Amino acid sequence: MTTQLVKCPTCKTTITVSGEPGEKIFLTCPQCNQKGAFTIPGEKSAKTMVTNSATIEVNGLTKSYNHFTAVNNVSFTVKKGEIFGFLGPNGAGKTTTIKSMLDLIHANTGTIKINGIDVRTHGKEAKKNVGYMPEKVAFYDNLTALQNLRFYAEIKHAPKEECIHLIEEFGLGDTGKKRVGKFSKGMVQRLGMARAILGNPSILILDEPSGGLDPRGVVLIRDKILEMKKKGTTIFVSSHILSEIQEICNRVGIINKGVLVAQDTVEGLSKKLNLKPQITVTIDSMSAKIENAVKKLLGVDSVKTQGNTLEIVCDGAMKAKVILAISTAGGNIQNLQTKEPSLEEVFMRYTEA
Amino acid sequence: MQTNIILSIAKKEIMDNIRNKWIILVSVMFALLTLVVSYFGSLASRGWQDLGFTISGMANLVTFLVPIIALMLAYATIIGEIERGSMNSLLSLSATRFEIIIGKFLGLAGVLCFTIFIGFGAAGLMIAANVSNVNYADYGIFIGATMLLGLVFLSVALFFSTIFNKRSTAMGGAIFLWFLFNIILPIVFIGLLATTIDITKFAQGNTIVVPDWYQALNLFNPTSVYSSLLTTSIGPVSSMSASSMIPAPSWYSSGLLIGVLLAWIIVFFALAVWRFQRKDI
Repeated sequence: MTTQLVKCPTCKTTITVSGEPGEKIFLTCPQCNQKGAFTIPGEKSAKTMVTNSATIEVNGLTKSYNHFTAVNNVSFTVKKGEIFGFLGPNGAGKTTTIKSMLDLIHANTGTIKINGIDVRTHGKEAKKNVGYMPEKVAFYDNLTALQNLRFYAEIKHAPKEECIHLIEEFGLGDTGKKRVGKFSKGMVQRLGMARAILGNPSILILDEPSGGLDPRGVVLIRDKILEMKKKGTTIFVSSHILSEIQEICNRVGIINKGVLVAQDTVEGLSKKLNLKPQITVTIDSMSAKIENAVKKLLGVDSVKTQGNTLEIVCDGAMKAKVILAISTAGGNIQNLQTKEPSLEEVFMRYTEA
Repeated sequence: MQTNIILSIAKKEIMDNIRNKWIILVSVMFALLTLVVSYFGSLASRGWQDLGFTISGMANLVTFLVPIIALMLAYATIIGEIERGSMNSLLSLSATRFEIIIGKFLGLAGVLCFTIFIGFGAAGLMIAANVSNVNYADYGIFIGATMLLGLVFLSVALFFSTIFNKRSTAMGGAIFLWFLFNIILPIVFIGLLATTIDITKFAQGNTIVVPDWYQALNLFNPTSVYSSLLTTSIGPVSSMSASSMIPAPSWYSSGLLIGVLLAWIIVFFALAVWRFQRKDI
């Protein structure tokens, strides 16, 4: 973010403008109402440029088994450096989609490209920089954690020293000679994440990474995901835990009964569904005057009163004005709670029967 | 295709079978059986038979045992990993399906051949130390032919482990295969033979000239091919089988029989590759 001072060409008032380098800002002079535009000087940063290039492109993917269509004409793109959340009820086709992305199962129709390379025809090159954590994490049970990772490091051409670091990082340093067959579900899951990030892949594909983990494990995995994102890794993650997805994902795709029903940011999806934030205000004494003051504001959708509590659904931009209106009408605010539209609501609405 | 990926996978298969003691157990079993057959095999005399007689005595046992061992080793190698879930990760690591299957085949083939070599080899050396008439070349041919037979069944088992969707069905398939080649086919072929020639001649203990079609049909049973290969290539076995009821025909050459066994290996390996390429994991 850069900040610049510009002078209004008509009345010479100084105006502060801020934005990303290369961004065009539209201004209105507060003094004389002259309208104009100003482009922040400098090159567009590399970050903003690459975020527009697709890393994973799925186009028209369809996979049927006998008479059952598991995935039907699904298309989406994952942009470089973003975390893309992939949501859907059980059996919606999430794992089928992910497995097709890696050519583990062969799609009937459609193309899948990773870094522009077709997975079906040039699988080896396409998967070179991909780390994958399957829904069902499995290892060679009669090998230790280290022996397992070393085997994968050999195939991935990752440095072997990395294996020891990863095992430490994922809290498995004290397993020593214990065979993976004797690990708990959570330990296997953590080792699965370690395997996925082995060799520092530029793309991570995670299928339900926090399944079977205790809260500490969930936090560990989430921190790892965010750490990898910081390094510029593109991350595709499917999950049931919506709060987690909302917290970390730039964009989400929602699949229901094999069909991709939505693909956008969480705010974008809320907007499309017309989901609005809800404000709950408790005042010391309720009056019709207060209620009416709020009701007549533009952008307020509904006002419900219950005792001394007002429940207001309004545009995100109106929140401050609503509070102000209550105070001016004489309401003495005791408690205030705002609830942003959650991914859960979005999910429920998109996956309704 | 990357050789180092193939070698890593092959090495992994070998290490697995060292770890689970499979190699030691089966080698010891091969050695003990050979020693028992050599020492107690002859009804006429107690004590060590020379290597040639030992091979004749072993031939039948090998056609029963080595196929079981090879089938056990490989029937679940692909489907087992798919079922457990570890195939997912292997394939996502930019190892191609061809690299995986050839790596597995080479690793398991190494395990099988090593076991045969050590088991029969050790027994051979012990027998050789106790008898005067030692022909190492014949015994070497026996070990080589046994490896080929093992590889045929390994290749067939590999194919089975790609066509079934469950480990348990693949196991059923492997058991069926063993019965097919050791019991069903020989009975069917003999049955066909019996319908065409005068069966009473068998009863009189004569050797009879069997039609070529029967000999040709036997080429489709690798265990028969193996027995014939021992007959055509190893002097003592040949002289013993010359007095048997159905001798090998003159047009059976060692080259032809080795060729047939190699064809079995190649065809089923190719089928396994073809099937695995198309399989959904």
